[in-house]
Amino acid sequence: MMEPIKDFARQLNSNISLDENLTVRRQNRFFLLNKTLKPLASKDFFHAGIYLGKEKDGVFFPSFNLLAMIADKKANKVTVDEKTEWLFICGRDVFKRGIIRVIGSMKKGSYTLILNSYSECLGFGKVLSDLHEAKEGAVVKNILDIGDFLRREKSSSKTHS
Amino acid sequence: MMSGREFFISRYQELGWKYEDVELKQAIRINSMNAEKASLLKRLESRGIKLEKIPFLEDGYWICKSEFSVGATSEYLLGLYSIQEAAAQVPATLFTELTDKTVLDACSAPGGKTVQLADLMKNTGVIIALDIEKRRLTALSNQLERCRVENTITYNLDARQASTVGVKFDRILLDVPCSGNFATDRDWFKRRTIPDVERNAKLQREILTQAAKVLKDDGEIVYSTCSLEPEENELNMDWAVKNLNVQVEEVRCHGEKARASIFGRHLDSSVENCRRIWPSRTQGFFVCKLKKVCA
Repeated sequence: MMEPIKDFARQLNSNISLDENLTVRRQNRFFLLNKTLKPLASKDFFHAGIYLGKEKDGVFFPSFNLLAMIADKKANKVTVDEKTEWLFICGRDVFKRGIIRVIGSMKKGSYTLILNSYSECLGFGKVLSDLHEAKEGAVVKNILDIGDFLRREKSSSKTHS
Repeated sequence: MMSGREFFISRYQELGWKYEDVELKQAIRINSMNAEKASLLKRLESRGIKLEKIPFLEDGYWICKSEFSVGATSEYLLGLYSIQEAAAQVPATLFTELTDKTVLDACSAPGGKTVQLADLMKNTGVIIALDIEKRRLTALSNQLERCRVENTITYNLDARQASTVGVKFDRILLDVPCSGNFATDRDWFKRRTIPDVERNAKLQREILTQAAKVLKDDGEIVYSTCSLEPEENELNMDWAVKNLNVQVEEVRCHGEKARASIFGRHLDSSVENCRRIWPSRTQGFFVCKLKKVCA
């Protein structure tokens, strides 16, 4: 059951260990519970404990909670400046000039977390060209950023207006 | 006709409040489980956001000036603070000791108060959050994810069926569905009538009845509405005292003491322990705390 989560963490050059007994799958969504919540999850719940992400058509979509958990461990990480942070949460790619610090593999095709200067995880992306060789332009393609919370609100209000 | 602006305004006057136009101020609440207050305030200040401490709230601040939406900053999206109207921040603060408790948030979506409860509980214990509308639970889930709440389980359930969860609660928040008030709805006076208010009051009594059943003997219920109508507030509390084996506890919070004599009816004197928050810099609100009467 945990494989989609572990596979996702591996793409970021990280390992994550979650207690299998406390991880539950509800339809296509994964949650990490604590011991108090576990017995309550036998009923038909909507959300419980820490939301980890969902699987759709064989692809795993991580939650921001899971990204933050991975960010606390060894993983590929790119720290960006304030202007790039703002652009990234608006859905834009990361340009080389906005990068402050790089940890882990930055080879073309690898995945990396994007952090702000407070080491808070803003999302993740895919490296477009080897960072050490790239001169300018977009170097990390935005795959998911925390601005998604606003996009969800907007799409939900459109659906129900 | 028991509706219309003049009708409701004259009722408020009879309750001791002279109607005035209000201009609500947007407010935020710092999520102390995710943010260190002083450093967050500094970060927001560096973004040009001017804040004013709300005097009656520990973690609440009014937005005095901001050149952009405070709902679009990294700090908001990272769950370091929530946008929550000042009066709406009061109910969750009325509980005594929440750490490690089993808490019911009976009408929880969209989840501002659920997140506040989790914050006050420091993510300990458990919150069982119910809402009757499934689509509203999605909004609640987003809030829980954004604010990194870990101790909450949500069910798509009517508060009047809370006993089907099979749990007895130490604390119950009843922020019940209500008629609202004019401060947050410019068409309020046009839309609302007394039969509406009475329909809501009946639903509220049904929810109260269920809550009293699932409350532990030494438990507490905080009841709140954003309605200014006594049928949904003082009269319901008088009914609860007389029918549900509960008493109204004294609370210390923003607002004025409720009246135990309303429209010629004499209510249980403990109803005076409830608080009314008339619209001003905040919206209108009514809050009170109930405890079971032990034999």
